[in-house]
Amino acid sequence: MYAVSAKSLTKSYDGKTNALNDLSLEIPQGSVYGFLGPNGAGKTTSVKLFTGLLKPTQGECTVLDLNPVKDPSEVHRLCGVMTETARMYGQLTGTQNLLFFAQTAGLSREEGNERASELLKKLDLWDARDKKLREYSTGMAQRLSLARALINRPQILFLDEPTSGLDPESAQSVNSMITDLANSTGTTVFLCTHQLRYAQDLCDSYGIIDKGKLIAGGSLENLCSNIGSRAKAAFRLQEGDSLDGFDYDSGWWQTELEQEGQMPKLLKNIVESGHDVYEARLVKPTLEDVYFEYLKHQEETK
Amino acid sequence: MKLLSSAEQAVVNKDFGEIWNTRMARNTIIIVPLIMVLFLPVMYLLMIFFIPANQMNGVDQMMQMLPREAAYFSVKQGMFYIMTNVVCPMFFLMIPLMVSSVSAASSFVGEKERGTIQTLLLTPLSIKSIFKAKVLSCVFLSAVATGISFLVFACVISVGDLLLGMPFFLNWNWLVLVLLLAPGITVFGVIFMVLVSGKSKSYMESIQTSGYIVLPLVLLFVGQFTGLFQLNALILLVIAAVLLVVDFLLWFVSARSFTPEKLLK
Repeated sequence: MYAVSAKSLTKSYDGKTNALNDLSLEIPQGSVYGFLGPNGAGKTTSVKLFTGLLKPTQGECTVLDLNPVKDPSEVHRLCGVMTETARMYGQLTGTQNLLFFAQTAGLSREEGNERASELLKKLDLWDARDKKLREYSTGMAQRLSLARALINRPQILFLDEPTSGLDPESAQSVNSMITDLANSTGTTVFLCTHQLRYAQDLCDSYGIIDKGKLIAGGSLENLCSNIGSRAKAAFRLQEGDSLDGFDYDSGWWQTELEQEGQMPKLLKNIVESGHDVYEARLVKPTLEDVYFEYLKHQEETK
Repeated sequence: MKLLSSAEQAVVNKDFGEIWNTRMARNTIIIVPLIMVLFLPVMYLLMIFFIPANQMNGVDQMMQMLPREAAYFSVKQGMFYIMTNVVCPMFFLMIPLMVSSVSAASSFVGEKERGTIQTLLLTPLSIKSIFKAKVLSCVFLSAVATGISFLVFACVISVGDLLLGMPFFLNWNWLVLVLLLAPGITVFGVIFMVLVSGKSKSYMESIQTSGYIVLPLVLLFVGQFTGLFQLNALILLVIAAVLLVVDFLLWFVSARSFTPEKLLK
């Protein structure tokens, strides 16, 4: 059973253009999936379809084998969803908000109290628990939203830009909470973001979406090999020294490697040929590099 | 069988808090009944007492509106009777209408405006449960406001009846009005607002739209003053029955239109 699966999922709001076009994917349980794309690419629409807030124009999707269109309540029972647009109640305190959502999730008062306290402490909101939400900073409100999404101990967590608008400390605390969750409880995480550095730290597989179309998917290694993005060997030499066949960039002589295993031999050859190597490093393509290569490739194909 | 599950009850309680925290809704819930059942009747009573009838305009025309069973009343008694049975019903029915529509505006449109409706839709509560809990919280609030208003009104009018030596005011008209027409109007006010909520973008916009539903009520009672028709218990009963049927049908129409897709537009 997949945590999330979609077959030819398509959504059009106006009947003319597709906000999401023919999306097919399968996400195994327990994985942390990064759904990457620029603003307006279709990430939020996908989350809304997976959580039953929207009906697909074509195709279908399932969450833990449940159809969100036919059984949204059951999907919500198993999922936690945090989106930028899903706000909480400003006139209620942090604790009251969590207790309210605990009650709507079917938790008893005691269970709700216990869970709310646990999450407020974990997300560093304990001291602000009795403050009204409208007095919270953006970062605090965002963390409370994450607490709300986790109140029912979800099996799948849909996170739509969970760290947008957060200061680095808050973003780090949210990210470490997500990592903890995935590692300790096996919760599947569906993370929509355009903050690629965070995504690379958190996720084990990715989907890249652009203009409603999924243009690539898989682990970082798969993404790299599919687009032909390779690791580079980079060397810093004595000033005035140079290497034939290497590119020079900001004090480093670089060349692309077929395989990472070529690096030791290459280094040995350079040293043996009489060059003084001050530093050597293997530069692996980052998620950011790969992401932009895919978007560029997509533009060129058009 | 419980009317509401614990999760639905949580939504009702949360809505009460939200409606009460919306200044305009809170003011309407307090001020409209006070004006309609306390301030205006008391002012009218004082006017009857302290201003001689021959100094008032239109007294003769008003006396002509008295039904046969009240023909023996004095001028002061007759004027008070007209107020109790022709003017005040319109004032009184404004209460369930206004309270239900402002509550529903806060509960439905306000939640949409504040961006919290999506969060509520993401809870394990079914859309039907959310609809039921929200409608019932508004209906309950309006029913309580109407009930308390009627008690206050009954006290004011009873004092007037005693001072003027008139029989107790409660008649079939008032019974139909309080027990059938007011509940019918309450449900109508809420459901009308649910239907409007899909199109309204702000709380204020929905409140302005609700002004349209006051019109039929005003016309109904203006019709009496112009002598076009005379409302009696039977006519009120027919109106209440029609309204309850309309409510029943609109409940289904609005429940069907209450979908996440429409609410998140």
